[in-house]
Amino acid sequence: MGVLLAADMDGPALELDTVTKRYGDFTAVDGLSLRVPRGCIYGFLGPNGAGKTTTLRMILDILRPTSGTIRVLGAGSALEVRGRVGYLPEEKGLYKKMKAWSVIAYFAGLKGMSRLAARRRAFELLERYGLKDFAEARTEALSKGMGQKVQVLASIAHDPELVILDEPFSGLDPVNQGVLEEIVQDLRARGRTVLFSTHVMQHAERLCDRLVIIARGRALFDGTVPEARRVVPRVVRIETDDDPGALAALPGVAGLHGTGPSRWQVTLAERADPQDVLRACFERSIRLRSFDAAEPSLHDVFMALVGPSAREASFR
Amino acid sequence: MKYVWRVGWREFMENARTKGFWIGILLFPLIIAVASTVPALLMAKGVSTRHFVLVDQDGSFAPVIRKELARRRQGELDDARRALAQAAAPGGAGTNLAPGLPGRTPRAAWLEVPLPEGVDGTAEPALLENQLRPWLRGERTLPRSEASPAPKLFAAVIIPRGLGATNGPAVAIRYWGENQADTGLRDTLQRIVTEELQGREYRSLGVDPAIVSRVEARRAAVTELDPRKAAGDERVGMKDRIRQWAPSFFVYLLWVSIFAVSQMLLNSVIEEKSNRIIEVLLSSVTPHELMLGKLLGVMMTGGVMMVAWVGSIFGMGIVASLFLPAGAASGGAGNIAADVAGLLRSSWLLPAFGGYFVLGYIAYATVFLTIGSLCNTLKDAQNLMGPVMIVLMVPMFLMPFIPRDPNGPIATVASWIPIYTPFVMMNRIAASPPWLDVVGTGALLVAFDVFLLWACGRIFRLAILRTGQPPRLVELLRWVQGR
Repeated sequence: MGVLLAADMDGPALELDTVTKRYGDFTAVDGLSLRVPRGCIYGFLGPNGAGKTTTLRMILDILRPTSGTIRVLGAGSALEVRGRVGYLPEEKGLYKKMKAWSVIAYFAGLKGMSRLAARRRAFELLERYGLKDFAEARTEALSKGMGQKVQVLASIAHDPELVILDEPFSGLDPVNQGVLEEIVQDLRARGRTVLFSTHVMQHAERLCDRLVIIARGRALFDGTVPEARRVVPRVVRIETDDDPGALAALPGVAGLHGTGPSRWQVTLAERADPQDVLRACFERSIRLRSFDAAEPSLHDVFMALVGPSAREASFR
Repeated sequence: MKYVWRVGWREFMENARTKGFWIGILLFPLIIAVASTVPALLMAKGVSTRHFVLVDQDGSFAPVIRKELARRRQGELDDARRALAQAAAPGGAGTNLAPGLPGRTPRAAWLEVPLPEGVDGTAEPALLENQLRPWLRGERTLPRSEASPAPKLFAAVIIPRGLGATNGPAVAIRYWGENQADTGLRDTLQRIVTEELQGREYRSLGVDPAIVSRVEARRAAVTELDPRKAAGDERVGMKDRIRQWAPSFFVYLLWVSIFAVSQMLLNSVIEEKSNRIIEVLLSSVTPHELMLGKLLGVMMTGGVMMVAWVGSIFGMGIVASLFLPAGAASGGAGNIAADVAGLLRSSWLLPAFGGYFVLGYIAYATVFLTIGSLCNTLKDAQNLMGPVMIVLMVPMFLMPFIPRDPNGPIATVASWIPIYTPFVMMNRIAASPPWLDVVGTGALLVAFDVFLLWACGRIFRLAILRTGQPPRLVELLRWVQGR
């Protein structure tokens, strides 16, 4: 394992500076810059084909960038600090003939743990996460969910400082998704940095301290979840049989349009208060059947930022 | 190096846990043991005594045949008695003799039985043969004999009147039998009758058949000598012949082991590629470490197989030399085994085999590994393996020629082709090839291995994450050039 320098401890866990990856004429990642602070859960969001997996592979030094620099825990290559980095790839697989404990111990061993410590750690993790009875089972005998759990445990068995999870929730049932969320939160509680890619916004919303949204290899947003919510205008959804046209003239309203029979969406101007819309409805005798002034979700943010390009990409 | 070792150890342990590995290890010595003992057992026990009837309607041949068969049988019994006496003597194999091995009374190969009841030996051949059919077809069995409780009639031999007459129509011995594969009885009887007819002919011409026999028995003796051997000990014996042919055995061993592990390597790489384990591995080790680790693991697997195989042959040689009689009557099995064990202990065969095994393994395993990295399915890999297997077959085609002319042009040229060097040089090693060939081809092979590791390493690094169709040759060359 690499020696921790004071400068490394102060710097970000991960830093990408105008990283580009090209395959011939195709640009998979285009001048991407990121700074992942230590001890946070960092979401890496984007539609299919946005360049997430390519970026993660470059971070891990599995692929070399065409240009730009990447620093992982202060090192120029993730392999220099391999004992301090854990990785769970998007497409999950295990050695079919190996036992669950030996797979975890093997990958922990490749991260620098001694054979004995790796074995002990494997049994400890399997017990903690409810797989004690399957420790001696060959991985081919495990269910898909169990196999994925074993792989998650293999990626964190060596207690890494930076854990990179590529689509960790895909294929897991809701119960095991909950278990994985616990694992991620536990890592943060112990001061570890987690970078995970997903296109399931609910997970990102629940877990992330910070997130980056990329599309076509470029960063469209980088910040906290509240900051992300402010990226899109706030809306109020109302249901009424009366004509709400008068609301469009209110000072805090940027727009009004129908979304269905008797359904309307009122787009608020920046810093406008939804209560003003409610008050105006009472004052103008607009009888409401429903009034929804919820904050924009990450899904709304995602759709607003990448929706058009993602749709365009999928039809290309 | 730590990571190379860890990858290699896992690879070795995974292979060592497969049934195929242990079957491979045990099967080889088992085949050797079975091949060296079963034929003797089969000869002694497996083939039952053949019962036959002899009808000599001429009347002059049966006594000659019976006398000659009895003489041969007596010779067999005398040999067996001598072997038993030798084994019982101080220092002999004594009671350790296996059943069926020399020392026990050998079973008679043939036994003449009287004609079954109701069969008229004086009848015309056609009628006589018709009467014998039920016994020849196995529909009826013969009366109990010393050799069998219900013997089947194996053959009926009818010598019609007029056999050997110089005038009149040609008459042949009529040999009836269902088994056309076992021609021993037929050939023996034909030989005895032929010699009798020739004897009669000689006598009629006034030549003494004993003189003819004496003349025919004359042979020019040859003593084979080897000028490379120490003065006074130049005579070529069994040990020298073993020394000459033992390298061929090691070439087969090397070839078989490369063949055996190639499948393990392909399966292993393709499993890691298709299961996407490769990505996790490459986040922990460099492609170079992964490749070297896998090569190391496979070499350990093959090495254990080799040690087990060579060790079992060595062990069998020692055991055989302790328990088998060394005399000529037994075929000198004990002597041969002791010679093999002695040869392995004293010659350069084992060190040379070890060296060529390692260097040959690196070359072929690197190629197999690279093929595995280029493919996503076993089917793709098998398609690419086709040309490699043809290349690998060439040393087998050369095998018969090289021991006959180990320092000739074919052997010398093939030695300098690095992919064939391990096989050809191993085959030549007993013939003391020129030092230039030994050192030069060895150095070239090492350089070739280094080049392969470098070039295949470049391909492996790019191919291992690739999905879809295997790349074209032009693309591979670009990868090697780093473009």
